[in-house]
Amino acid sequence: MKVLVLNCGSSSVKFQLIETSMEAIARETEERLALGSVDKIGMDASVITYQRRQEAPIKSIEHILEHEAAIQTVLSALTDPEQGVIGSRKEIQAVGHRVVHGGEKFSGSVLVTEEIVAQIRDCIELAPLHNPHNLKGYNVARRLLPDIPHCAVFDTAFHQTMPPRAFVYGLPYVLYTRHGIRRYGFHGTSHRYLIFRLERLHNRPRKGFKAITIHLGNGCSMAAVHGGKSVDTTMGFTPLEGLIMGTRSGDLDPAVVLHVMAKEELSLHEANTMLNKHSGLIGISGVSNDMRELETQANKGNAQARLAIEIFCYRVRKYIAAYAAALQGVDYVAFTAGIGENSARVRAESCCGLKFMGLEIDPERNAAMDGREGKISTDESKIEVWVIPTNEELVIARDTVRAIAKGA
Amino acid sequence: MIEHVAVVGAGTMGRGIVWALAQAGITVTFKETSPEAAQRSMAQLEAELDHEIERWGLTKSEKTAFLSRVRPTSKVADLAGASMLIEAIKEHFGQKQAVFSSLDRRLPPEMIFITNTSSLSITELAQATNRPDKFVGMHFSMPVQKRRLVEIVRGLKTSAETVARVRELAGSMGKTAVEVFEYPGFVTTRIILPYLNEAMHVVMEGVASTEDVDTAMKLAYDFPVGPLAMADKMGLDEVMLWMEQLFHELGDLKYRPCPLLRKMVRAGRLGVKTGQGFFPYDADGSRIRSTALSTTPEGKEI
Repeated sequence: MKVLVLNCGSSSVKFQLIETSMEAIARETEERLALGSVDKIGMDASVITYQRRQEAPIKSIEHILEHEAAIQTVLSALTDPEQGVIGSRKEIQAVGHRVVHGGEKFSGSVLVTEEIVAQIRDCIELAPLHNPHNLKGYNVARRLLPDIPHCAVFDTAFHQTMPPRAFVYGLPYVLYTRHGIRRYGFHGTSHRYLIFRLERLHNRPRKGFKAITIHLGNGCSMAAVHGGKSVDTTMGFTPLEGLIMGTRSGDLDPAVVLHVMAKEELSLHEANTMLNKHSGLIGISGVSNDMRELETQANKGNAQARLAIEIFCYRVRKYIAAYAAALQGVDYVAFTAGIGENSARVRAESCCGLKFMGLEIDPERNAAMDGREGKISTDESKIEVWVIPTNEELVIARDTVRAIAKGA
Repeated sequence: MIEHVAVVGAGTMGRGIVWALAQAGITVTFKETSPEAAQRSMAQLEAELDHEIERWGLTKSEKTAFLSRVRPTSKVADLAGASMLIEAIKEHFGQKQAVFSSLDRRLPPEMIFITNTSSLSITELAQATNRPDKFVGMHFSMPVQKRRLVEIVRGLKTSAETVARVRELAGSMGKTAVEVFEYPGFVTTRIILPYLNEAMHVVMEGVASTEDVDTAMKLAYDFPVGPLAMADKMGLDEVMLWMEQLFHELGDLKYRPCPLLRKMVRAGRLGVKTGQGFFPYDADGSRIRSTALSTTPEGKEI
């Protein structure tokens, strides 16, 4: 069956069309027919990127005001007589949606019903920046593709296996029971994919190994995974906690926020934007939130850029050791996403000096591994370190197929 | 869904409304009296957005997205594509009346007309148009893009459908709407003006300095801003107009503008916008803190 995978953000829609089935999943013969994105929705010029199988991507610019028009554009591209990959919309048999926050209600993917929509809406309070856009995308897709199953895949679901010692904050417990203030964790689909790949690469069931998965993209998070189950992760109540990110602060003494709000007379909105959009790599460096640009600047001698990279990697390193303790031993460490797949410098700096715990990177292997899958640790290293390009869309498509099979 | 709204008048209030609309993803065409005035307002809006970026409240790309939804003009014809129009010119009955009567003749009859007023009669203003059923009041609080309240004011002939549409607009702007009956000053202005006026009396009578009056009220009641700084922000001329309006409508002495207020308006000390009101301000509208000014009760000085 052909599954359309949709990931709707505030001003973007990412999509993939995947040919899959229960048999294809078992044989791992799923096929990506097309992928692309619509970016800068609602701005002067929206950028549409569309790519068919192994062909070169086609870029075009249009004026797209909202998600409805964006998803229409995606459907037109897929069914275009020349560029398309399907004859009509009717060939799409299911849609898989990425939903950021599933709260405690969802520990797995589900087929979307009216009741599920209401439950996702209940989670808006927990993820005001993400869930409304995900829901908007769902509503539009449901209207345009009404008669097929739609599946919701949650970023938080994978981490629902965390024990209370990992997810309860050191705050009055009543805040948890009354308002659901706890750590939820995000990027679950990506962490899950890494576990799946580690299982395949070592031909070893996930039940038998312990892994630290490191997703370093625009948002950054790590997970400690024992026997295929997430036992801890760096992101918390929102995606703000944990690692330093492109524009987010990561871990912070909460008193800092209160102090700065008073000193600078910031409103809640301003403080929130400061922490989410003006902090992290861009905030420290004042140069960029893009690691490639920071590395270029650091090599040219920009001290702030160098400092930003150093802080970024130091935080990852601390969590590697922390999660080794949480797991009481580690078999594999895996890096993924934009920075994790492409920055040898960040991987090297994040792992440096960890030989004492049996983790050692091979500089040559590391330098050679950009955007590809492969091992970067030395043969002597007790802990194997891997680079694994993530594939969240594939996981979403698989969950969709499985949810349909289960529901039928 | 409301996609395009027109705004007439882009002073402090008008720009705040433009900002709040654009922030909500709505396309806004705003009209000023001349192409130059429209460009000036656009430049001011940009400066205000830059200031918000400095305060970490906005990012550069959000600003770009924002401005791509805002269209300045000086021509009424350019407003015709909008489904609603918000008027935000000076709080002056005659001027508003003239503007609405002219807009009414030149814009599609189905367009909803909204007047941003804090004290004028909606029913009376609606008479200047041939669409009293599609005429309604919306009273925003300043700064519009940050305050979460809007008062929706129904005139005698305003239709239920119009009120529903305007509620929808308020909702998509992220505001909570309260519906108030037409009565001078509605709720917020009616209560806040005598408070500001009383603070001026306290200064005039030499009871305390401007700085101390504001400090006292801020700390005692946990107000984010003191009454005199608030009046400076609103514009002292506006405050006086509203007071006179209430005084005129209700005839109660408690709405009589404080003589100090009158004197300051005559002297052209209108608050933030002229750089001097009860406190001094720089070109960005930030308060200039100087100990010398704050120690003398200013009532005596003036």
